[in-house]
Amino acid sequence: MGHHHIEIKQEKFEFTSRSKMLSIILLAVGIILSVIGVYQIKANDSKVATETTTVHAEASHETAAPVAHGGEHSEQLLPTRFWANMLVNSYYFLLFAVGALFFVALNYVANAGWAVMVKRVAEGISAYIPIGLILLFITLYFGGTQLYHWLHYEHEGLKEGMEGYDKILAGKSPFLNTKFLFLGVPLFILIWYCFRIILRRLSIKEDSEGGLTFFRRSTRFSAAFLVIFGFSFSMLVWLMIMSVDAHWYSTIYTINNFAVMFVTAVTVICFFTIYLKSKGYMELVSSEIMHDLGKFMFAFCIFWAYTWLAQYLLIWYANIHEEVVYFQVRLHSSFRPLFFTNLFMNFFIPFLLLMMRNAKRNPKSLLVAGSIILVGHWLDIYLMIMPGTLGSASAGLGLLELGMPMAFAGLFIYVVKYSLSKANLYAINHPYIMESATYDVGP
Amino acid sequence: MFCFSTSINKRNLIYGVFDDDSNLINTVEEVREKGIEVFDCYTPFPVHHLDTAMGINRTRLTIAAFLCGTTGFCLGLLLQFYTMIFDWPMNIGGKPSDYHMLPSMVPVVFECTVLCTAYGLAFLFFFRNKMGHGVRPDILDLRQTDDHLLIAFDSDTMDQATKTELNAILTKNGVLSIHEYSGQYAIEGGAHA
Repeated sequence: MGHHHIEIKQEKFEFTSRSKMLSIILLAVGIILSVIGVYQIKANDSKVATETTTVHAEASHETAAPVAHGGEHSEQLLPTRFWANMLVNSYYFLLFAVGALFFVALNYVANAGWAVMVKRVAEGISAYIPIGLILLFITLYFGGTQLYHWLHYEHEGLKEGMEGYDKILAGKSPFLNTKFLFLGVPLFILIWYCFRIILRRLSIKEDSEGGLTFFRRSTRFSAAFLVIFGFSFSMLVWLMIMSVDAHWYSTIYTINNFAVMFVTAVTVICFFTIYLKSKGYMELVSSEIMHDLGKFMFAFCIFWAYTWLAQYLLIWYANIHEEVVYFQVRLHSSFRPLFFTNLFMNFFIPFLLLMMRNAKRNPKSLLVAGSIILVGHWLDIYLMIMPGTLGSASAGLGLLELGMPMAFAGLFIYVVKYSLSKANLYAINHPYIMESATYDVGP
Repeated sequence: MFCFSTSINKRNLIYGVFDDDSNLINTVEEVREKGIEVFDCYTPFPVHHLDTAMGINRTRLTIAAFLCGTTGFCLGLLLQFYTMIFDWPMNIGGKPSDYHMLPSMVPVVFECTVLCTAYGLAFLFFFRNKMGHGVRPDILDLRQTDDHLLIAFDSDTMDQATKTELNAILTKNGVLSIHEYSGQYAIEGGAHA
């Protein structure tokens, strides 16, 4: 509107020593809880070990120990459960960062102006990509054979006709192999990180120099990123997450993961914006922008449910052994309550909570619904990884599962706040900054 | 058949014609500050913030949408349960004919929800905005259908002093012309058609 006059004052987030301490405390508490959790499992392991040796001693002359899928690597839970948790969390927190970068690129390509005010928040969140890559790579490198039975299988080097030869795994070996895992995953994420560096540099330069060139170049790089990202993200998900159940496959799996990425990233952007506003920054970010972020959360909860159901419905209807095994282990085991909790936390509850217009404009209800979404999608990824790595008998929710996300969250918050403090909070010379500052979603 | 009476029927109005939407909004804000009630505004295109400036309450169409959707959801479930389970249990792909077939109902129930919401809202919208067949549209001045914006006041509720004040405000905000309307339908006998 012509008669509204808004002046954008530049401001910088100050990463105070107090908030530094808070995130470090969160990290420390998380690590302590994880260590206690690990020791608990270890104690349990040794107890189980002594019990099974007695059982084996009694039954050893009668039958060989049966090999069950999922628990075939060892009866000891510890290394597998630790690495499975590492995979869940390093993947989950990387999704926030990648999703935030996707959000920035998406808004450039869509020529969208409304989100320019929160662009720097999204950029700050994407700063976690390299840290996430390192943690993810550590997990894959040290825990790979524990997590992926195809990697384990590859090391055995079985030929056709030999005992234990697996036709399906052998057929997938051109893709599911060590080289692809250890080269492909870092390569894809590094490519994304390069785009992050480029977009960030253009954005910072735009602040000091102004003009449309940076915007145009950013749009071009964003378009390239989106195309590359679409393919590489799919491959990454096949390689890292879907391959946990290497005999199983689903074509909509990556889209479901993409929905998880987008909805969690938007929620995290929303949370950091609310945090910054509560600290007195970003007063120009109006409830109109929060409303649109809330709409994205709402919409992608529905989108997630849609892809989730599309996957479930086809497999349920066709009822083919090799497909249905995926839901069999999740529905008819100790995962059953979590399976339904997942649906409620990621669809029904946020759907009803965020349906009202006022709920999307109110930070409190956004925080409530967003927290449910964030915990829910952690559970969603937990349910993607745990049944295939640990099996229903060995997986659980203990102190390790509580502490590790806390530790990751502490690290993530530290990195994001550090990155936020390094640049102005408003991309002041962005051509759409005024559109975003005076944005109005209408009645 | 049936015919709704339009809101400008049998009313005495004063209206000003503008060719700029920000002038119109400024006028609305200033006039309401002075305590003069705006009867309505007529614009050929949606003017942002005009509704908030006029103090119009937010539409309740969204609540109606929720109710329509809930109705559709229940009807869809009823349809599926009745046809697939009670009336004629069907064996499709060996699936049990009881509540276990709930996943297969989701697409149908979803479509019923969307259908009821869409139809319900479309009819409600037409009804609420008096856009039925044979209803005369509220046209004070044919220019409101092209490129001019109108602001109308009920002249019966105003005394002479207010009218003078109103004239001053309108003129100050760049009104093109001010007219009087007395229940006569513009298309048939409008002086400014």
